Amino acid sequence: MAELEAPAAPSAPSDGSTAISGRLPDFVARPPTGPYRRLNPTTKLVIAFAEALVAFGVRGWTGPLVVLGVILAGAVTARIGRALLPYLLATIPLVASILLINTFLYPGATDRIVTVGPLAPTWTGLVAATQATLRVVAFAMSVALLGLTTQPDHLIADLERRGAGRRVMFVVGATLRMIPRMIERAGEITEAQRARALDTEGRVWRRARGVVPLAGPLVFGALTDVEELTMALEARGFTAPTRRTVLRVFPDSGWERGARWALFLGSIVVLILSIAGRLEFLP
Amino acid sequence: MDWLSRQFSTRVIVLMPIAIAINIAVGYTVQTVLKLPIYMDSIGTILVGVLAGPIAGALTGILSNLIWQYAPGIGGGTIGPFAVTAGVIGLLAGLWGYLGVYRPRPASGTQLYGAALVGVAIILVLAWRIYTSPVYGGDPSTGGYGSGVYLVIVGIGVVAALAVGGFIILRRDAAGAWVAVAGAVTGIVAAIVSAPIAAYLFGGVTGSGVDLIVAALRQGGADVFNASLGQGFFSDPIDKTITSFVVYIVLASLSTRVLARFPLGERIAGSAAAY
Repeated sequence: MAELEAPAAPSAPSDGSTAISGRLPDFVARPPTGPYRRLNPTTKLVIAFAEALVAFGVRGWTGPLVVLGVILAGAVTARIGRALLPYLLATIPLVASILLINTFLYPGATDRIVTVGPLAPTWTGLVAATQATLRVVAFAMSVALLGLTTQPDHLIADLERRGAGRRVMFVVGATLRMIPRMIERAGEITEAQRARALDTEGRVWRRARGVVPLAGPLVFGALTDVEELTMALEARGFTAPTRRTVLRVFPDSGWERGARWALFLGSIVVLILSIAGRLEFLP
Repeated sequence: MDWLSRQFSTRVIVLMPIAIAINIAVGYTVQTVLKLPIYMDSIGTILVGVLAGPIAGALTGILSNLIWQYAPGIGGGTIGPFAVTAGVIGLLAGLWGYLGVYRPRPASGTQLYGAALVGVAIILVLAWRIYTSPVYGGDPSTGGYGSGVYLVIVGIGVVAALAVGGFIILRRDAAGAWVAVAGAVTGIVAAIVSAPIAAYLFGGVTGSGVDLIVAALRQGGADVFNASLGQGFFSDPIDKTITSFVVYIVLASLSTRVLARFPLGERIAGSAAAY
């Protein structure tokens, strides 16, 4: 079986920031070059999994900072520093919420930084808030790194080749294709209901009344598609008992397989050590 | 293993991505467009659980959160780790499906008003349990939430009780009482499962509208875990009860012919022809 890679788009610069790439998904306009992008899709999934596990599992500063360092190295290698920025900005509401609530309302903290009227931010709260922020940002960036360097179809195809259930892989792939359509449909329904005087900006009660007019048409519209899709799948032998022929095989060297297993098992060992309290010497 | 493979017929496999997309699209719209302190991201999970069984429901819930976390464009945030909660919601939905909770039960006279009373009583008992929970007890200066929280609990309990009683009587359907109980129980379990995830991974804050409730509870002196649990006990039973009624209305609106094609369809269809 020939080893295939995603076709390179013509004349796309290394950061993928052409006029075309503003319209197309990033992976379409970006050539799959560089050592990080050339990794097997499953390896990149395992890296993201290990990063999330360490960021959340190892408490204090060490876990999230190490993960952020690894992500930065990966982003530089994959040349997607600028592309990560929108993902970083998307965490601002969550980060602001974490910083404000924990700094100003940390239970039991008495070491006040300053007292301004009823507001009394504390050092304990600020430290906890900053650590939680780093964990959330590290997690978000690990997801972004995977998303920006891996085409979902490639990941699904590789996992299926490794024996992951065909049905589960179909569910994942079909969902990824369906979500943009559904979001688009939800937007159309919202606009249509707004044109019929649905209030989406007023008081809570008025907004709450909008749930049914929005969710109803979306749900019923989607459910009407089930029969049609079922027939189409059955007609194409979806339930056939034979193993499907693999169309695409992605490069996967021996050292990469070994490194992947080491990373997977290593991150689980780190998590277990952290839960057992053996990593408390780390800052 | 036959019972397991029956849960994953082609029709269920086709329904699952649609259910996941419904979860994400409705949840995304309700949380970002309507900006309400509820989630509404379990309609598809409960739908699949009730129609196909607990394992299919749990898988739908887990995949919903994982895909939402990693989905290009709308991903990120804190939704991924709550896949555990979503899985439990799907599991419970499958149990309700097996028990035939979502089967319409046309009633009249004493039976109808009895069911309405039972539904109202169950909601009030649940509200009373929350009202008297040690989580909310005590003086604010010693870690309690303050007296304002009791007014909110009473208000929510009365509104929920009126909504359930009204639904049962207006639709002349005793199933409303069962659906309310299923939703409330699912919400309480979801709150208990979610609290440690929110507290341990995110410091009790998730960046959505419910953070206001967390802030109010923290202001009252609650610690990180209790603030998350307290917020969950506010939001989740309301959210899951509303979601359960939405799913019930969806199921009651589908024809018996369509319902019967799913693994648990016969347990739901019942006397749906009356609708």
